[in-house]
Amino acid sequence: MEYKLIKLEKIQEFINSLIATGKQVLAPKQKKEKVFFSLIHSFEEIAMDYIQTAFSAKSAVFPKCEELYTFEKNGKETILNNPQAPENDTIVFGMRPCDGAAFDYLATFFLKENPDYHFKMRYDNTIFVGLTCSSGDEFCFCSSVGISPSDTRGSDLMLTKTENGYYVEIITEKGKKLVEQFANFFEQIEQIDKTKYVANIQKRFDSSALKEKISGAFDWERWEETSLPCFGCGTCAFSCPTCTCFDIQDEANLLGGTRYRIWDTCALGIFTKHASGHNPREKQSERWRNRILHKFLYTDEQFGILSCVGCGRCIRNCPAELSIIEQVNAITEG
Amino acid sequence: MSDLINKTSQFFSSGIIDLFIGYKKGRLGEGKPAFFTKPDQLSELIFDENCIVNLAVYLRKPELKKYSKIGILANFGTLRALLQLAAENQITDGQYLILTVADGKVLEFANLKAIEEYVANNLPKPNPERLALLKEIESKSREERWDFWTRELSSCIRCYACRAACPLCYCEQCLVECNQPQWVGVPPTGLGNLEWHIVRAMHLAGRCISCGECEAACPMEIPLGLLTQKLNMTIISNFGQIPGTKREPDYALSTFKVDDKENFIR
Repeated sequence: MEYKLIKLEKIQEFINSLIATGKQVLAPKQKKEKVFFSLIHSFEEIAMDYIQTAFSAKSAVFPKCEELYTFEKNGKETILNNPQAPENDTIVFGMRPCDGAAFDYLATFFLKENPDYHFKMRYDNTIFVGLTCSSGDEFCFCSSVGISPSDTRGSDLMLTKTENGYYVEIITEKGKKLVEQFANFFEQIEQIDKTKYVANIQKRFDSSALKEKISGAFDWERWEETSLPCFGCGTCAFSCPTCTCFDIQDEANLLGGTRYRIWDTCALGIFTKHASGHNPREKQSERWRNRILHKFLYTDEQFGILSCVGCGRCIRNCPAELSIIEQVNAITEG
Repeated sequence: MSDLINKTSQFFSSGIIDLFIGYKKGRLGEGKPAFFTKPDQLSELIFDENCIVNLAVYLRKPELKKYSKIGILANFGTLRALLQLAAENQITDGQYLILTVADGKVLEFANLKAIEEYVANNLPKPNPERLALLKEIESKSREERWDFWTRELSSCIRCYACRAACPLCYCEQCLVECNQPQWVGVPPTGLGNLEWHIVRAMHLAGRCISCGECEAACPMEIPLGLLTQKLNMTIISNFGQIPGTKREPDYALSTFKVDDKENFIR
């Protein structure tokens, strides 16, 4: 692996140069109370000292609403048009290592078996620049799901803030190319020990004890009791960096229209409602169970990875303050 | 707090309730919704001005059907929601044991009429900051207002948290879930978002009890409570009806009076 350094005073110039060369830079930006990944137009807009954004940068590769294709009638024929890949690279700048791990999961989900055209188009055009966590809060639990606050998986470049500037680990070819393109901002440096710059994220639950319990947890008698405060808003899933469920919707008139893929969530009753009116997940507790089992069991069975990365967004964003940490501990305790 | 815990505990031990919906301490010291089924759980029960979640939202949960009688610790918004739900025939008088805490004293409401009186005597003045914000929006030109709302609503992800958090959004099937015909565009595009928020606000016009839960639940920080607040102010100034203050139907948009001053309706 190669290592570089960007001096503190150079980081601003680096970001502004990325923007100047036409790259779409998505970075954490303060909205009102919360920080969101947003398209930025200059370095000043970036909120560098954030703990966690309200939503991940998932929308860079899996937008909340994306055009799958357009269709139009031409006499007796129907013409389909696929969307074109964006011309310019997107740079996700300053994402946390948990989000990096989440992008890794998304790539597995969307590309492993039948590569998804639309996801691939965006993913191939996106460069992920991670940022080591120097602090966390009581909702961070990456270390409980096997991810560290300086984890490099899913990142093309990994930045760690030090006294001298940002220490850069070049993880992938994509990352290397970006550094070469903007070589004048980077200085050569030896590998350093990152430990003292990395947050200490406490273990909130015992993942091996959970693994033992979770496969038999479908019939656990406490799902209803533990999920009573959930009123089914779905914010947990919408803000989750690994939730991939989507709905397909058309907007059309007699002459043509657009087919969209949009975010969906198992928290909503309509998610599983059949045309007959029957709903196999009638109650919120059954929907909540699905969400927990999906994160900690189903994707483990399917891909060998948990689809919870411990970012803590579902806890911070929940209006009823349900906590996935408390839930998992309750399951483990039985 | 011990008075509240003691009283609630007595309701359990005398068999009056078998579920109590209240609050316990949340992550930042504020109250979070909590469900108590046994008196020994009540040590966690709290109530103060930081208990803001409107607990009336839970009453429609099918999970609650198995309980024979439910007690509810109501903040002011919850009391108003209960009145509005009663006026809309969603709950009946005496269906729930309703408590609140005022000036450190636990109040048990004998019936909905008692809630009506309590609400009438304690109706707060609208928040001046919100009024200023509304005034600011009203003072904009049409084009500027359009820009303001299209910009704010463009971030909507259509999670419908606003709907889920609203104690008055209790339809079994929401209009937005109807797809034959598809009245409202589902994709979170500009038009669909605009349609959804207009529909939501209009369906709450004169019914919104101003608890602010929709806006609090919005993960995207959209000031959507302003829409219902504006519509409510219009209803109040034209018809004098304040939602969530009466237990009987008193709803401008669905009642007809023979002496209506408008001609078109005759």
